[in-house]
Amino acid sequence: MRDRGLGRPAEAAAPGSAGPARVLVLLYGIFALAAGARAGVQLATRFDEAPLAYLLSAFAAAVYVVATVALAHGGSGGRRTALAAILVELAGVLVVGTLSLADPAAFPDETVWSAYGRGYGYVPLVLPVLGLLLLSRRRGD
Amino acid sequence: MSLVLVVAITAVAALVVLAGLASTVARRRTGLVHLAGAGLLEALLVLQAVLALARMGDGTPADTPTFLGYLFGVLLIPVAGVLWAQAERTRWAGTVLAVAAAAVGVMVWRLLQLWEATGA
Repeated sequence: MRDRGLGRPAEAAAPGSAGPARVLVLLYGIFALAAGARAGVQLATRFDEAPLAYLLSAFAAAVYVVATVALAHGGSGGRRTALAAILVELAGVLVVGTLSLADPAAFPDETVWSAYGRGYGYVPLVLPVLGLLLLSRRRGD
Repeated sequence: MSLVLVVAITAVAALVVLAGLASTVARRRTGLVHLAGAGLLEALLVLQAVLALARMGDGTPADTPTFLGYLFGVLLIPVAGVLWAQAERTRWAGTVLAVAAAAVGVMVWRLLQLWEATGA
């Protein structure tokens, strides 16, 4: 009864098991949803106001979707794709974050990457770092 | 949208976060306690969605598409969290659920913000 209520004892994290990676996949999934929904709304309702920012939103969403799927899929192919997506994501959050602070006029509306992801508690800045750490740790498996 | 409901949802989400982290610390998978907490959270979110839809009117909230995106998007999070946590056999299952519940806790406050921003 205790096991059913509180959960059975955990298995040790075996090589190749999801473990912490599953936490990261969920985070990426949430950001894929958040960025995708935001881009969808922006593109559908007010594309003319800030086409660059909104296309960037859509691009960010696509990167999150690719990273989510690649991380969830795993394997060497998945890891390679995830690495590429995460590097693009890291470059995106750094470049867009810097530009949005240096030239706010060019970014009249927020994207997930504006001001290094300030609107999302800076999680967009931390996420690629965690992703890279995880990928580098698993390379030894 | 009501502040009372948002506070209640935040409280339940916080309990689910704690339960999830506790099972990770205790090296356990998720169990019925976690399922019940996430179920209650989802029920409150559905209630919130129904109430908000009933009270929506002209110009309230100003950014209706974004509001609806959050209102329905947030319904997916506990379900995804539970499914993703149940499939995890290591102690990280609880952390998965905790992350999902924390995201819900943040999203409902953003929802309230969107609701209170009227076009006027």
